[in-house]
Amino acid sequence: MPFLASAYWLSLITQILIFGMLALGVELMLGHAGLFSLCHAAFFSVAAYTVAILQVRYGLPTVIAAPAGIVLGTLLGCIFGLSVRTRGVYFILVTLAMGYIIWGVGYRWASFTGGDSGVTNIPAPEVAGFSAADPMAYYYLVLVVLSLTLFAYRRLIYSPFGLVLRGIKSGEKRMLSLGFNPAAHLYIAFVISALIASLAGVLYAYFNKFVNPVSASLHISVEAVLMGIVGGTGTILGPLIGAGLVLGLRNWVSSFFTLHLAVMGLVFIAVVIWAPGGVMGIFKKWLTDAKER
Amino acid sequence: MLDSFILQTLNGISYAALLFLLASGFTLTFGLMRIVNMAHGAYYLFGGYIGLTLAKSTGSLFLALIGGGIAAAILGYFADRVLIKRTGENHLTQVLVTIGIAYIIGDVSLEIWGGDAQKLPLPVFLKGIFELPGGIIYPKFRVFLFLIGLLVGIILWIIYRKTQIGAVIRAGVDDREIVSANGIHVDRLFIMVSALASFLAGFSGVLGGAFLTVYPGAEWEILVFALVVVIVGGLGSLEGAMIGSLVVGLLDAYGRWLAPELSYFVLFGPMAILLLFRPRGLFGSANMT
Repeated sequence: MPFLASAYWLSLITQILIFGMLALGVELMLGHAGLFSLCHAAFFSVAAYTVAILQVRYGLPTVIAAPAGIVLGTLLGCIFGLSVRTRGVYFILVTLAMGYIIWGVGYRWASFTGGDSGVTNIPAPEVAGFSAADPMAYYYLVLVVLSLTLFAYRRLIYSPFGLVLRGIKSGEKRMLSLGFNPAAHLYIAFVISALIASLAGVLYAYFNKFVNPVSASLHISVEAVLMGIVGGTGTILGPLIGAGLVLGLRNWVSSFFTLHLAVMGLVFIAVVIWAPGGVMGIFKKWLTDAKER
Repeated sequence: MLDSFILQTLNGISYAALLFLLASGFTLTFGLMRIVNMAHGAYYLFGGYIGLTLAKSTGSLFLALIGGGIAAAILGYFADRVLIKRTGENHLTQVLVTIGIAYIIGDVSLEIWGGDAQKLPLPVFLKGIFELPGGIIYPKFRVFLFLIGLLVGIILWIIYRKTQIGAVIRAGVDDREIVSANGIHVDRLFIMVSALASFLAGFSGVLGGAFLTVYPGAEWEILVFALVVVIVGGLGSLEGAMIGSLVVGLLDAYGRWLAPELSYFVLFGPMAILLLFRPRGLFGSANMT
């Protein structure tokens, strides 16, 4: 791909793929289980911090640090997953507060996490003598991991498990009376979505080369939701398209305009009010319109 | 040890007063209109900045408090009528739209007032300290903050529990359709309560500006605390907001004192556990989801 030759585009596209993966994790809960989580930055950042601290401070190799990041992020998901006991507004508020615990720990527990400045100088991932220090090599690594994740995600969505999830979304009581266990399904879905977010966090740590509390902030969780919605909820490619649009727009706007958060806010409002189906929704509507004609 | 304990308790109570001012509006708008307003923190920030400008130019804290409150009320009114109204009863949409509103307000405020933390100047009679028995030194402004919180709390409680308007609001929280069917103009009631809520948010922003300073990002920090207050107390309950702000204010003060690095955990941990066993909070009614 020739346009990838420029370092700017390569970095932007790698970033889009990583955040697309985070959005994919959030989307599993939002689009398929109907629960709106505001704490996925927690799994993302715990995984990133684990990689950073193990690699930088303890000098452990990637083969240990990367899996440890995924495991710790997912374990946190097992704890936070208890939030599926709540529904609706309470779920939103509880996940928001839980996400803040992790931000607070990252920010205040300075002796361990490095506080505001975080952990810097994360080395490139290196497995069995093969190093992905070159940005192009790292881009391909991210692409491969994402493709595998998307493949597994697709299998999950079309499996009976995915069907039960969507059943719970449209009518929890009905699924209960059909003999399914909604609580268990939602819990497992939550842990899987935390796993995907942790995977994105590990990739982010090696990409960004430093981790600070910003990665755990509410803004990251909100941005992931925004990506999911802009792309179109309930779809597989939506989160990726959303990540591309949101990050692309932000980069473009911030190059000539300081108010880029306000622009994000406007996009948020406009999409939610006028195009709740997102890009995929518009695309599908266009397809059905074309068929009818 | 005992001195510190008393001091931290006082700190917790004065912070609780600030949280109550913010959380009471949030909980009432939710209870009555079923609106989850994530822009509530942004009203706080905006009120704080307007108050800052007024206090700097006129030197009057009273003008700053009223001006900040009114500015936030106007902002809240337009946000409500133009945008939030379109979301219907869908909480997901409301949360997203109001987060969008909060981003816009926060970013525009950053552009106008800059990124530094700024402290609201205090009038002379609120500067300085009280010396309490036992040699505990306590700033006058915090006592003032506590008294204002107490006063507003009492006024709100009397309106809510003892007047006809309060009865209508409580009835609206329980069952909106029936209130409407009884010939009460629910829409007008909504505008009133939502204006009061945004006024209180702006008002508390001015007080918060003198107490904690105003800075970009303050809106989210205080909003999360207010949300915890509302969650612990139970959505839609005024008494719950009172108890909740005391619990959160005290836990926060003790947490900062005993385990400064893990203070967020001290605060949010118990909340998460409480919610797992009692998802509707201490005083929430069962039909609030």
